[in-house]
Amino acid sequence: MFVSVDEKCLRLTDDSGERGVLLGMRCRQCGVHVFGPATFCQSCTSSDLESVELAQQGTLFSYTIVRVPPPGWPGQVPYVLGEVELPEGPHVLAEVIDCDHDALRVGMSVTLALQPVEMEGVANSERVVYKWRPG
Amino acid sequence: MAQFRPGRDVMVVGVGLHAFGRFPEQNLSDLARDAVVDALRDSGVPWSAIPVAYFGHVYYQGMSIGETTLAQLGLTGVPIINVENACSSGSTAFWQAYWGITSGVFDLALAFGAEKVPSGPVTVTAENSPARYIGGDHMMAGYALRMKRYMEETGAPASALAQVSVKARHAASMNPYAHRKETYSVEDVLNSRLIADPLTLYQCCPTSEGGAAAVLCAADALDTYGVDRSRAIRVAAAALTSGNYNGRGSDHSAFSPYRTEPAALQAYEMAGIGPEDVDIAQVHDAATIGELQQIEALHLTPFGEAWRATEEGRTALGGDIPVNTDGGLLAMGHPFGASGIRMVHETVTQLRGEAGPRQVENARVGVAQCSGAGDVTTVHILTR
Repeated sequence: MFVSVDEKCLRLTDDSGERGVLLGMRCRQCGVHVFGPATFCQSCTSSDLESVELAQQGTLFSYTIVRVPPPGWPGQVPYVLGEVELPEGPHVLAEVIDCDHDALRVGMSVTLALQPVEMEGVANSERVVYKWRPG
Repeated sequence: MAQFRPGRDVMVVGVGLHAFGRFPEQNLSDLARDAVVDALRDSGVPWSAIPVAYFGHVYYQGMSIGETTLAQLGLTGVPIINVENACSSGSTAFWQAYWGITSGVFDLALAFGAEKVPSGPVTVTAENSPARYIGGDHMMAGYALRMKRYMEETGAPASALAQVSVKARHAASMNPYAHRKETYSVEDVLNSRLIADPLTLYQCCPTSEGGAAAVLCAADALDTYGVDRSRAIRVAAAALTSGNYNGRGSDHSAFSPYRTEPAALQAYEMAGIGPEDVDIAQVHDAATIGELQQIEALHLTPFGEAWRATEEGRTALGGDIPVNTDGGLLAMGHPFGASGIRMVHETVTQLRGEAGPRQVENARVGVAQCSGAGDVTTVHILTR
């Protein structure tokens, strides 16, 4: 049984641990989207919000190859951290996987990719994490 | 735009520092106390006359550290407020001290800050946060994202960014309080270890320990407290903002109208001056890219041109807009709670004409800009 890293940001759509959707909120007053949960609109402060599923594909707004990871980083080093712009507007920070570092370009297309991640030595710590993959 | 109504003129009448660096033998209170004693001595005002104190800090695990620190100077019963506002904690304490006086509530106020920042990458979320799985909570990786984007949009070469750090070390080589005083070259900076491409180690501020303090006094009360008028420096503006909606959530853009600029515009309006009147600036250079973005957001150069001004030496000591004249975060180091007040310390020292080999001639208007997580920005304008 796979568990999402953050159920308010990523909903798993089957039991494979590989498929899911990023969640956001859309303001019915001003039309602005945000990634993740919200009670009030960050733009106009309205509380008239609806849950939405965000696009599976976005463009790479910026990226960096992290050589010194933050404390507790459970993945490989170095890793690529990408800031991805979704068509609805929000930017989503996550690891970019399966990529050739030299082929990374600002503006390239990337697609949502899910992977189970475990914190080393921590029981029951496996979570499915959202990442990006070129394409 | 914030609604504000300054009242009495406010002056900085004393500044103090505990050196920045690593001090394993000293605890947070020691660093803070030494800075406070230094500032009180500089002002000539006794601790017993101070009616209120604001203490900026981030990491201390405990309660009422401001109270226990100042208890060492004597228990006077005054209100002491502990302030946490990320890297802007110290400058936020200063901002509160200013408003406490200009509003008419107090004649005097003490703003102080100190920190012992642990080594290693700085994160802002809690240990069990989902962010730890995602890998995006990494202060310097965030700056690297901004840097990549800035270089992409402006064509700034890596060498121009490295020059920011070379300049910082040069200034710090003349500053006995700095954490890192050894000078180096652009090549040294570019060849230092990569932290997060394209950001190298020497383009990241060190995590440091240190303390800073300032004593503020109402301009109309200087004589009451026997303050030396010739060394008093006016606070012409005090602005503090938090994040504003930018439509993106995570935002590491090259130019953001919601980061720093609103506080800068507020401060210029409050001071009745423009960026063309600024003689010196201390800005939040936690990484080299930060300095360029802050310079531009303060309108000291047009957007996208701070890198060129840096290459041309305009932002160095001897240039027409010297920035981070004491070495900045990059060379002074960055004890969060102290940094914002350290910027005030350097500005006051320069405007008094007491900066020794770092002195900028005829400096009359200084800006101190400090950023923090939560898109916090403080901008203070001091004038002689």
